[in-house]
Amino acid sequence: MTGVEDLLQTTPLLIVSISGLVVLVIDSIFRNGERLAFWLAATSLLASGLHGLYGIGETGTAFSGMLTTGGYADFCAALFSLAGFLTLLLSRDYIGSRTTDRGEYYVLILFAVAGMILMASAADLVVLFLGLEMMSLCFYVLAGFTRTSFAGNEASLKYFLLGAFATGFLLYGIAFLYGAVGSTNIDLILSSASHLRDQTFFLIGLSLLLIGFLFKVAAVPFHMWVPDVYEGAPTTVTGFMSTGGKAAAFSALLLVFAPRLASQIGPVREVIAVIAAVTMIGGNILALSQENIKRMLAYSSVAHAGYLLTGVVAANGSGSTGILFYLAAYTLMNCGAFGVVALLESREGGRTSFQDYSGLSKSSPVLAGLMALFMFSLTGIPPFAGFFAKYAVFSGAVAAGYTWLAIIGVLASLISVYYYLRLVVLMYFSEGEHPVPAPVPLAYAALLAAAGAVLFLGLFPSTILDLTATFF
Amino acid sequence: MLTEFGRVLIFFIIGAVFVAGGLVTAWLIRPNRPYPSKLTTYECGEVPIGDTRVRFNIRFYVIALIFLIFDVEVVFLFPWALVYSQLGWFAFVEMVIFIVILFVGYAYVWRKGDLDWDRPAPKIPTFEKGVGVREDHLLEEQVVGS
Amino acid sequence: MDLFDIVFYCFALIAVGSAVVVVFSRNIMYAAFALLFAFFGIAGLYVLLQADFLAVTQILIYIGGILVLMLFGVMLTNRVVDVDIKTGTLQIVPAAILAAVVGGSLSGVFYSTWSTVSGTPSDVATTTPAIGEMLMTSYILPFEIASIILLVALIGAAMIARRKT
Repeated sequence: MTGVEDLLQTTPLLIVSISGLVVLVIDSIFRNGERLAFWLAATSLLASGLHGLYGIGETGTAFSGMLTTGGYADFCAALFSLAGFLTLLLSRDYIGSRTTDRGEYYVLILFAVAGMILMASAADLVVLFLGLEMMSLCFYVLAGFTRTSFAGNEASLKYFLLGAFATGFLLYGIAFLYGAVGSTNIDLILSSASHLRDQTFFLIGLSLLLIGFLFKVAAVPFHMWVPDVYEGAPTTVTGFMSTGGKAAAFSALLLVFAPRLASQIGPVREVIAVIAAVTMIGGNILALSQENIKRMLAYSSVAHAGYLLTGVVAANGSGSTGILFYLAAYTLMNCGAFGVVALLESREGGRTSFQDYSGLSKSSPVLAGLMALFMFSLTGIPPFAGFFAKYAVFSGAVAAGYTWLAIIGVLASLISVYYYLRLVVLMYFSEGEHPVPAPVPLAYAALLAAAGAVLFLGLFPSTILDLTATFF
Repeated sequence: MLTEFGRVLIFFIIGAVFVAGGLVTAWLIRPNRPYPSKLTTYECGEVPIGDTRVRFNIRFYVIALIFLIFDVEVVFLFPWALVYSQLGWFAFVEMVIFIVILFVGYAYVWRKGDLDWDRPAPKIPTFEKGVGVREDHLLEEQVVGS
Repeated sequence: MDLFDIVFYCFALIAVGSAVVVVFSRNIMYAAFALLFAFFGIAGLYVLLQADFLAVTQILIYIGGILVLMLFGVMLTNRVVDVDIKTGTLQIVPAAILAAVVGGSLSGVFYSTWSTVSGTPSDVATTTPAIGEMLMTSYILPFEIASIILLVALIGAAMIARRKT
């Protein structure tokens, strides 16, 4: 029987979803409740994040074996909450200047975070699916949040159609796994896999599940939606989708695939390895020719999905810890990069091309400096967090005997140096005229915090690596 | 269980027989005298202007969407209603939480005016020199239900 | 071939026949109404499989809700008759591959489980109370999450369809 203990074990989920409801009520009751709604949403996300970071509990299950609690789940919950928190700070003015429905925006961010937490703590495929749906539904709406923008509508519709299709694959996969094993419990499915007389349906189910996940993490060849959706969606939403959404999909992928990947489901591992290699190469090569910053970051996010998949393939402690560290670092640096783009963007969605950034260091030195820092970190240049993230997943791959994959990863990162540093060079060594963006204290605070955290994680990576190592 | 649904099936079959029987009997006993006026929309009325297919008000769609959400909610109520007397307060509280969450959504759409049926201001026909000018272009954009 | 089989083939025929009409009809309204019969046929099949709750859900949600929504969608589209709606066949090769894969895997399931399934259905009184008990005990979390998902869908639908403010 479920009781209060179950609820207490899932504090972050509870905080986020209840505050989502309360924010919705505030938004419905008060005509001018935006300020209250915003601070409530921000506080609850911060509280849920800090709870996850400082109150990581014992591993267990709750709600009759539907959720895992503690450890991994708590850490991921903290990560998603912080991604939501950063997004919220960055987007208050951005969204406020483009639409009047700010209350709904906060509600959707909160529920998206709740969905992500469910994905990372699912012990049952039903919960995993529901969490994924909850997150995706919020993203479909958020992508088209600026309803007057055609690009936004296109992004929303495209994402919805393709996302629903991918969800179909995922659900079909779950159905096959249930048919093969007779249960939707993840542990039970994985442990009974080796006892099956006929593994055909099990493998069909697993590959369909994998396709669903690969769509959500935007791996090649399931990346077609990424550039249009990332470019058309409001910039802060794109930042959230590419960090929180990707992190949630990866945490669920890790949950389902990592435990037994090395021992039992052989062919799946090789397939993921090939996809990781193709994703790293493809994402980086496609990013080279982009002239729009949002599109460039979209393809770079495809490439990062490839690096992260390398950690999944490794399927060992180092790879899995590396993924969690990578997700934390990526969340900070990519949220930051999209935050800078959002601040510089014009109200009509312009000023997002490479040329618009030339000579930025003269007109807004702080933003240019922050952007340069995030770009260095995304490239993987020490001493920033991005370097240790890549180092951790690649060393995991080498330890697991996938040296070729690590080498491809390093070579692909070399390609990425061109387009990341091209932006830095343009900002510092070119001339250009810019309107100085209005100072937005909240967004600047979020950006500075993200930059500080990127530097901190780069200098002291063991703070997170030691913590995450205890989960596996 | 099958017998229960068997009765439903018999009901359907009898219903179908009634419809088919009526049509067939009418076809058998009616005199056959076709002439062109019988094919017009209103046999003894005015000749209709424009197309029957007019664009529906978007409001219908919004209401249908909101209805669908609560339709799904109702489906959850059925199994609950059958067992809550055995499970007692616990099940009752669960269902209250479920309904309260959806009620928040209901309050939201109500408060935001999504349930309001906004009518465009009525267009008063203009008169020039005592002759009514029919604004035919209005028919182009005729919207049912507004 | 007993009565059960006859009823089964009737419903199967209704479902498949109407689905064919849905796909091949050139008139979008006919297609939408044919879908009604397809849903109905599937509901009948659910009943024959002893899944009474699913059957009623199918009728309540698919026929009562989703189909109505689809019809509104069709009617919302201005002047359906004037616009040349594409009902031709596009992307034959990918579609054929996808259909072959899906159909193949389904028939694979069909043939491999053929021998293990007993011919006569067990006579369960009704599945609804058992579903209710599961929802209230071990599936309480998915149950409550479902309400939040419905809420998110409600917000999204209402917001996107709302007039510009």
